Amino acid sequence: MSYLELKNVDKYYGDVHAIKGVNLTINKGEFIVFVGPSGCGKSTLLRMIAGLEEINDGDLVLDGNEITHQAPSKRDLAMVFQSYALYPHMTVEENMSFALRIKGEEQSIIDQKVAKAAETLNLTPYLKRTPKELSGGQRQRVAIGRAIVRSPKVFLFDEPLSNLDAALRGQTRVEIAELHRDLNATSIYVTHDQVEAMTLADRVVVLQGGVIEQVGTPMELYEAPANKFVAQFIGQPQMNLLSASYFSGISADAVDVGVRPEHFSIVDAGQGAISGQVELIEALGNETLIHVCLEGSGEKLIVRQYEQPSIKVRDSVSINYDASHLHQFDAKGEAIR
Amino acid sequence: MSTKKSKWTPALIARTAAAWGIALLLFFPLIFMGFTAFKTELQAIAVPSLWAFEPTLENFHVVNERSDYVQFAWNSVVTSVVSTVLGLLIAAPAAYSMAFSPTKGTNGLLLWMLSTKFMPAVGALLPIYVIFQQLGLLDTKTALVIIFTMMNLPIMVWMLYTYFKDIPHEILEAARMDGASVWQEFRHVLLPLGIGGLASTGLLCLVLAWNEAFWALNLGAADAGTLATMMVSYSSPEGLFWAKLSAASLMAIAPIVVIGWFSQKQLVQGLTFGAVK
Repeated sequence: MSYLELKNVDKYYGDVHAIKGVNLTINKGEFIVFVGPSGCGKSTLLRMIAGLEEINDGDLVLDGNEITHQAPSKRDLAMVFQSYALYPHMTVEENMSFALRIKGEEQSIIDQKVAKAAETLNLTPYLKRTPKELSGGQRQRVAIGRAIVRSPKVFLFDEPLSNLDAALRGQTRVEIAELHRDLNATSIYVTHDQVEAMTLADRVVVLQGGVIEQVGTPMELYEAPANKFVAQFIGQPQMNLLSASYFSGISADAVDVGVRPEHFSIVDAGQGAISGQVELIEALGNETLIHVCLEGSGEKLIVRQYEQPSIKVRDSVSINYDASHLHQFDAKGEAIR
Repeated sequence: MSTKKSKWTPALIARTAAAWGIALLLFFPLIFMGFTAFKTELQAIAVPSLWAFEPTLENFHVVNERSDYVQFAWNSVVTSVVSTVLGLLIAAPAAYSMAFSPTKGTNGLLLWMLSTKFMPAVGALLPIYVIFQQLGLLDTKTALVIIFTMMNLPIMVWMLYTYFKDIPHEILEAARMDGASVWQEFRHVLLPLGIGGLASTGLLCLVLAWNEAFWALNLGAADAGTLATMMVSYSSPEGLFWAKLSAASLMAIAPIVVIGWFSQKQLVQGLTFGAVK
């Protein structure tokens, strides 16, 4: 069931066409992640949904009501900002209860909701503190708590984890996932981190240059990218792209062929379809990434291998590919299905 | 208990002496005025100046009798306070919109506002005098309130603008997302965060309006005269009355010096805000 709908939404900054006719339908309870490189328009799109940026053209419909030009305060959406944006002069409790207080909610209900949210987020001991007395992770939890107590129609997250260190980011990511599982609230989450996108999302929206490149579940994007951009954006290390001449039995229209690193394998000399020289071996413990420079063309590829390799740098190797996992792209870079 | 040894190096002594010297030099006119106010007119014009004399309050009595101090002081209070409040009411929303929703023209507008302060006030005297005359506002407190407000508005907008610019935009956006109306956003977020800026801006403009003499003299010398005009009336063509002039000056600046003394922290903070952070 469509809950939030963007219909041909446009955004201009002067002459710059930042968001180009975006169409998107989001269902109730879904966790949607906007992902893309810097400047792709993902934050702008989120802020347009929030009402913090004007929508120049097109419609925004929430729960059957057109809200395209409604003030952000009237939309009943909650936003978690990258900088937390807590009210520095208020305690944690006041921060979390602000929305309810200005709405004129009864004090007993406010207390109850704040207490519940604080308990969920392990913030109960800090309710009387001000934001500057909290660590980064705690501040981010207050920002999330401020959103939760309101039970808004949609949660909006604008790169909420990018100010946290790596360990805390992983932990908070899990907490957000659990929170979504418990609350089952419709959420839109902006990130440039594909791990966050892959782990949190029900569906991922990949953006580039103000245009949606593909919408799909994380596995759909991984296994069936719509074009070369998505193919290379999703997956770490990124998908290898080689000229079609290395492969046999593929479409005549194919110009480039993409192969995930795990779908290549090092085989005995002369046994593989492709041969090259090992340039670098990255042993990561659970896996090994072998960088190979191909003979003749000088194209490079990465092979992912889960067992310890017996080869060394500068060895000549032969490489085979899994023919059932080839991604073929035409001259325009679109996937051939 | 351990005591810290102060190290009076020659360089430090020289610096301290220089600092005191400059401070005394700057403060000297005020000290001189303070002394002169308690002398007789004869003692006041004595050369060399007398530093030991029997103080008298006579000058204050005379000033109070000859000119109605309370009336002048009241005019000063009304014109400076009302113009400051009015100015803040106009400047705060202007600074808010310039700081949080700037357009291409914002910088130009700010510079243009400041440029109006570059023009000598006397350049605008004639048209303003005629306008106020036509409106029947000459020698009214209303005229002074209007002119003081307009005079201080550029400074107020500039100062508040720099204050507001230091408040993260996202905090206001968060309030908006939390359902706050513009008024609630101002009341619950901008006001508590910007109160220091509003206070020091108001204070500075209060001082500027209080000390203003040019417009006060030209537009409101009699009924609407402020303490500045009272002071000037003691430097008359019939001869200078140094002691009485000093007494009048002391009475004129006393209230604002007291306010300034107690709020110097805010004043300094206001003037250096954004410069050091």
